[in-house]
Amino acid sequence: MWENILAGFVNSLVPINLLLMILGLVGGIIIGALPGLTATMGVALMVPITFAMDPISGLIMLGAIYSGAIYGGSNSAILINTPGTPSAVATTFDGWPMTKKGLADDALNTALIASAFGGLFGTLVLLFLAAPMAQLSLKFGAPEFFWLCIFGLSTIASMSQNNVLKGLLSGAFGLLISTIGLDPVLGLPRFTFGNYTFVQGIEVIPAMIGLFSFSQVIYLVGSKNNYIADYKAKKGVTSRILKQMAKTCKANLMRSSIIGAIVGILPGAGGEIASIISYNEGKKWDHNKGKYGTGVIDGVCSSEAANNATIGGSLIPMLTLGIPGSAVAAVIMGALLAQGIQPGFKIFSNNGELAYSFIVSMLIANILMVVVGSILIKGTAKILNVRTSYIGVAIVALAIIGSYAIRNSMFDVAIMVFFGLVGHFGGRIGMDTGAAALGIILGPIVEDNLSKSMAIAGAEGSIFTVFFTHPISLILIILTLISVLSPLFLGKHKSEKEAKANDQA
Amino acid sequence: MNKRKKLIAIILGVALIFSMTLTGCNKSGKNDTSGKLNYPTKPVNMIIAFTAGGSSDVQARIMQKYWDKYVPQQNWVFNYKTGAGGAVGFAAIADSAPDGYTIGGVNTPHMVLQPLGQGAQFKIDDFEYICQVVDDPQVLAVNNKSKFKTWQEVIDYAKANPGKLKVGIVGTFTGHHLMYLDLKDKTGVELTQVVYKGAADQNAALLGGEIDVMIGNVNDVMRSVDQMKILAVAADERSSFLPDVPTFKETGLDLVSDIRRGFVAPKGTDPQIIAYLRDAFKKINDDPDYIADMKKAGQPQAYLSGEDFEKYVHDQDAHARQLLTKYGLMKS
Repeated sequence: MWENILAGFVNSLVPINLLLMILGLVGGIIIGALPGLTATMGVALMVPITFAMDPISGLIMLGAIYSGAIYGGSNSAILINTPGTPSAVATTFDGWPMTKKGLADDALNTALIASAFGGLFGTLVLLFLAAPMAQLSLKFGAPEFFWLCIFGLSTIASMSQNNVLKGLLSGAFGLLISTIGLDPVLGLPRFTFGNYTFVQGIEVIPAMIGLFSFSQVIYLVGSKNNYIADYKAKKGVTSRILKQMAKTCKANLMRSSIIGAIVGILPGAGGEIASIISYNEGKKWDHNKGKYGTGVIDGVCSSEAANNATIGGSLIPMLTLGIPGSAVAAVIMGALLAQGIQPGFKIFSNNGELAYSFIVSMLIANILMVVVGSILIKGTAKILNVRTSYIGVAIVALAIIGSYAIRNSMFDVAIMVFFGLVGHFGGRIGMDTGAAALGIILGPIVEDNLSKSMAIAGAEGSIFTVFFTHPISLILIILTLISVLSPLFLGKHKSEKEAKANDQA
Repeated sequence: MNKRKKLIAIILGVALIFSMTLTGCNKSGKNDTSGKLNYPTKPVNMIIAFTAGGSSDVQARIMQKYWDKYVPQQNWVFNYKTGAGGAVGFAAIADSAPDGYTIGGVNTPHMVLQPLGQGAQFKIDDFEYICQVVDDPQVLAVNNKSKFKTWQEVIDYAKANPGKLKVGIVGTFTGHHLMYLDLKDKTGVELTQVVYKGAADQNAALLGGEIDVMIGNVNDVMRSVDQMKILAVAADERSSFLPDVPTFKETGLDLVSDIRRGFVAPKGTDPQIIAYLRDAFKKINDDPDYIADMKKAGQPQAYLSGEDFEKYVHDQDAHARQLLTKYGLMKS
């Protein structure tokens, strides 16, 4: 193993591979930052090109694109309140308020450092804990998944502490939207109103672009401000943020990365779920918890560390069991198979040099990402110095292209515009777009796993044992209860405190 | 300030162009050919009904390499129309102009089942059939720690414990679903079906012990073959990927079930063009390098001529109608 790791370092530092890594990172960050162009798409587009390369070089480039794209999603989330990839939804919760406060630089650098840390952590888990983690991924059945998503949905309760009812209604609206299309059990059409176009259901990404980005444009057009936010380029932000994070975010980085790596190993759950759960946990346990949502680096850190930590995680079941932990991992597996390399535990002995070079290159790519990213940030942040009238046009163009690109369909563009209007006017009457987005993302997974669990319960003869006796399920149920009930207690505690303070005054 | 604005405008412009190239925003217009066949004079649109990087796409990409060898004058422009298990893409092929410049990949039994069970907006008669390229048979697989050693033991257990055996399949109105119904129909046992979204979570469920048995495709089970026991292949002959696994047929059950991929053009395409395409695709399928590339990518290559593929699709249609009617799954 160690000699393979050493060979991995040698392979990663060959000039051509370093160059491919940098190109992959830059390309990945751009793809990730553009709403609608996802990590999956970026990696899939580059796979045919890797066929002409040495397999090690090809994998090194794909790994760099994957890391870059997941980080890149945070750029647009922070600057224009538009998650560039679904996994950056939770990054908008604090990243956007920071931009509005004139702290865009701080937010972007936090995202960069947190992403690199999460990425490194996930890769180290892949390097040293692949076997036990692969076993853990198999312990996750339909009921566990169901509870994991319910746990994710419970975020709504703590997200909208000011008005839980509106938050819940928004979440329910998202869940309802996610039921459009073919049902997962019988494959029969629902809520299609006799229109066949609806059979395919509402695609998550166009809905997301509409809710976050198109609605934002309508707001920008209507606002009197000429610029999105005040922004003056400052020097040395990266190192200042690095120092600040080293001081205050250590626990946050570790907790978020662990959550990310574990969620990453589950097939069907990726960065979007990891970042939401991690954000929610940060909000509960972090020393700065009360300020989450107002624009603090801790919020950005917990979301971004988690989504990049899923990368290493998602590659574990792919390399060891041939079961990809995410859509991108599936595409990378396709590239491996096309090169004639079979995944499985044997990959570490039969193709040891290749497997370890790939993993080690991801360590180096994550460190390189800090350098590449901090240079790119200087350019991207300048968007804030462009008048909103120009930015608005650019966002609309990108939103349309991004929605169309998902499956080359104008229907998705219409969906995007529809959700833009829903997001904008809904926002005015107190709809929580974050909660609605959670509903749309988690809805299909909840339903799918609920119906699978019910089928299994039917065969085993007891709903109770299937849902309430598995150890992982029990842990998730307890965490969910804490998540739902804690705001109630916290809220009570807070109001008591305030009442006391008032009495004394 | 002005310079800076210009720079930003350039960056945004480049980003736009970049994303447009990525998404392949190009359309080709109509073509008027008259008299002698002058084809192809412009790129041919290739509609793929599944995501870029999926098995269908990988297969078509391999074909493209050899299309460029035999028809060097024009290449393919890939156009992904995904959704509803392929139905969106198949309908897009059926709806496109029959000028020979749009062709696409189809899968059976998807294209047979979707119009029957889900009201998909195309019919199997909406196409001109070019050829079949892949035949990926289905298998019955268990975890390698399972107590079942043959498919008969599985059926015996199911007979003794009606409804207790959990069988994993991917999607409804798919090849797996059809084989599941076929298996129930031919053995008369009662099973519980557990529907998964994709092969990845289905494989994980089998390895994790959530389901007892699963129906899978050779292409998919090969990836986790170390942890599984493949009990039988639902094909006429043993698979070259799994030479030690018996077929259902040789062990006494007449069960043949597979996913096939082929290429079609919209109905009404000039017969001369169809003849040209059939010929070009046959040359590709006879190329030893192509066959080697397919094997390397784990694609069970199996060529059928356009006529034979069309007949097969119609036979499948009759078979599926009978099964779906029996289990009450026909849409009116």
